[in-house]
Amino acid sequence: MIALTSPYLWYTTRATGLVTLALFALVVSLGTLVANRAGGTAVGRFELNELHRTIAAVAIAFLAIHIVTTVMDSFVSTGPLAAVVPFISSYKRLPVALGTIALDLMVAVWISSLLKARIANRSWRFIHWFSWLAYAIALVHALMTGTDARHGVGLAIVIACLAVVAGAGAWRVLARPTRAAGRTALSPLGAEPDARRAERATDPTPVAPSSRETPSRENAPSGPGPDDAPFPRRRQPPRRR
Amino acid sequence: MGVRRRAGGFVLLVNPILCDGFGHCAELAPDLVHVDEWGYPVIVTEPVPLANLAALESARYAVRGCPRQALRIERVSDAH
Repeated sequence: MIALTSPYLWYTTRATGLVTLALFALVVSLGTLVANRAGGTAVGRFELNELHRTIAAVAIAFLAIHIVTTVMDSFVSTGPLAAVVPFISSYKRLPVALGTIALDLMVAVWISSLLKARIANRSWRFIHWFSWLAYAIALVHALMTGTDARHGVGLAIVIACLAVVAGAGAWRVLARPTRAAGRTALSPLGAEPDARRAERATDPTPVAPSSRETPSRENAPSGPGPDDAPFPRRRQPPRRR
Repeated sequence: MGVRRRAGGFVLLVNPILCDGFGHCAELAPDLVHVDEWGYPVIVTEPVPLANLAALESARYAVRGCPRQALRIERVSDAH
């Protein structure tokens, strides 16, 4: 019980709060990279996805430490219920409530991702959009609650997180691909193996030169495709207009 | 876990409605999946024997790594 009255829990709360903020900034940025189909050449798209998932798990662990130490600590009087129910903390009611709301949203995102295989993809995406809101609220929570985030290293971390996530959000909105962005260089077709090229060269189907042009990202699904695909086509492209 | 059954084969199947052409499957299971001109997967259609543990593992990685949960592994009784 000595630990409960010592300042170390309080220090842990403050430190893990900043670390959680930075980690979730990384998670949000990686998620944006995955959603915007970044990677595929130097780093695989699947690697970005794996990093997004695993760093999210680490960030959730730090968030759990942040919350548990806050509740256990006797320096401020936030009850265990105030960790999940907003606006019932006697200490800094609004700033703690913001953290609580952010936590609840993040838990919703987390659980929906754990249930991703069982729920409709649209539901998962809808819930996943709330991670942006959760991060914005968490930033306000950090600025309003923490005395660390107002000067020095803490302020630098918060500003860096804000810049990174705002940049990611802007990129997500501006460069949002709705459909496929084409092959990745790590995939076998990107390298164009010799056997496949030979197979294509011996393909008797004549190909008009105009249909050879590579489709850009915007009109990829609707653009005219080459008719010499060396494999059975699963997905019929839409008719030409 | 019990005995791992080696008889039979599996095919990797894509739900083309869920698929958004992220291309992760082609990176994770390059022996099973190619991507077409638009980035959508074209998957080997003949069953792969379950004894091919490397292919099975890569298929499982592809199922797990799909951002749209559009892939699944289906077992078939006869493997050629």
